[in-house]
Amino acid sequence: MTRDEFLKAFDEVLELPPGTLRGPELLEDYPLWDSTAMISFMALADSNNGVRLAPKQLAGCATVADLLQLANVES
Amino acid sequence: MHAALRAIEYHLPDHAVSTADLAAEFPEWSVEKIDSKTGIQARHIASAGECASDLAVCAANKLFASGAAVPAQIDYILLCTQSPDHFLPTTACLLQDRLQIPKSAGALDFNLGCSGFIYGIGLAEGLIATGQASNVLLLTAETYSKFLNPRDRSVRTIFGDAAAATLLTAVHSTEPLIGPFVYGTDGAGGQNLMVPAGAMRRPRSGETSTVTEDDQGNARSAENLFMDGPEIFNFTLSAVPDSVSKLLAKSGKTLDDVDLFIFHQANRYMLDHLRKRLKIPQEKFCVSMAHCGNTVSSTIPIALKHAWMEDRAKPGMLAMLVGFGVGYSWGATFARLT
Repeated sequence: MTRDEFLKAFDEVLELPPGTLRGPELLEDYPLWDSTAMISFMALADSNNGVRLAPKQLAGCATVADLLQLANVES
Repeated sequence: MHAALRAIEYHLPDHAVSTADLAAEFPEWSVEKIDSKTGIQARHIASAGECASDLAVCAANKLFASGAAVPAQIDYILLCTQSPDHFLPTTACLLQDRLQIPKSAGALDFNLGCSGFIYGIGLAEGLIATGQASNVLLLTAETYSKFLNPRDRSVRTIFGDAAAATLLTAVHSTEPLIGPFVYGTDGAGGQNLMVPAGAMRRPRSGETSTVTEDDQGNARSAENLFMDGPEIFNFTLSAVPDSVSKLLAKSGKTLDDVDLFIFHQANRYMLDHLRKRLKIPQEKFCVSMAHCGNTVSSTIPIALKHAWMEDRAKPGMLAMLVGFGVGYSWGATFARLT
């Protein structure tokens, strides 16, 4: 999955129009970034990149780009 | 002698909470969102005076009415529950009397959640293979709803109450019809799915009944069920694929040898993810929780019963059963359907 595809999948998780997220966005600005969205992101990283993420790792992320880095999404 | 899965019946309480009901209570979550995340359309909820044993009696009586066995034939009762009628006596003992099962029967409760059915049939196989019992009535019964705070959508959308009655009987067979078994336990994860207060470690008090709201707006007290969804998901991603691999290695089988996969019905999202990750064909994978939700230790027998009813399960088929959850506790086995 390319970075753009991954971002579009994450747009869908946060119920945003496709193409909204670019990377520098602050997660705290998105009220739908909750435990359900965390699970969806963990599933995305696992199924598309084979990366298993612990919730504590996600909790340490401030931006969308931080999440992508954790999930080994190429920039 | 070995144990064979002979019959399954289940019972749901009358009162049902639909997804539309919950969407009305939690306007921030639409029917579509709840449905896409959980795959659950209704959860049945026990009434105020209705306990796990009451649900178990209904399920067992349905099993007896089916003609699979009569109470006099039962020589061992296993009850899996985390919501017993009392701290003591053992609820299975009360069930012996209520079901008019002979006093010569053994009876015990065991406290497990979503892995409980696997452990129950493991115990039943052990009892039967060693000649201690011939007809084991395995009851799985929960009223988790009594632990749930009404304002905690993280658990109210998922859990429903139910009981299942499974009859395991002794059959002459050179090979086990159930097994081998793979078990696992990791108590370090206990805090991620728990009712913190109300038993001996932390008795009920004014402090434990104080309701607080978490950062996502879900309200609960220490006497309510708490579930850390992401931690549970993370645990599942590790435990389930590993258990499946170990079971296949232990049995010398491959995924292609398995006719039916029945995993604990946690929620549809998790099951879809596990199925895709394990590359299990959709037609072999049972998902059956839309009508009742996650009923903890009863999900596997309920799904198996529906597989039979829908003609997906047939005699001779090999079913892989996998349970996982609270504890953490997990287990996996094969059942040759009879």
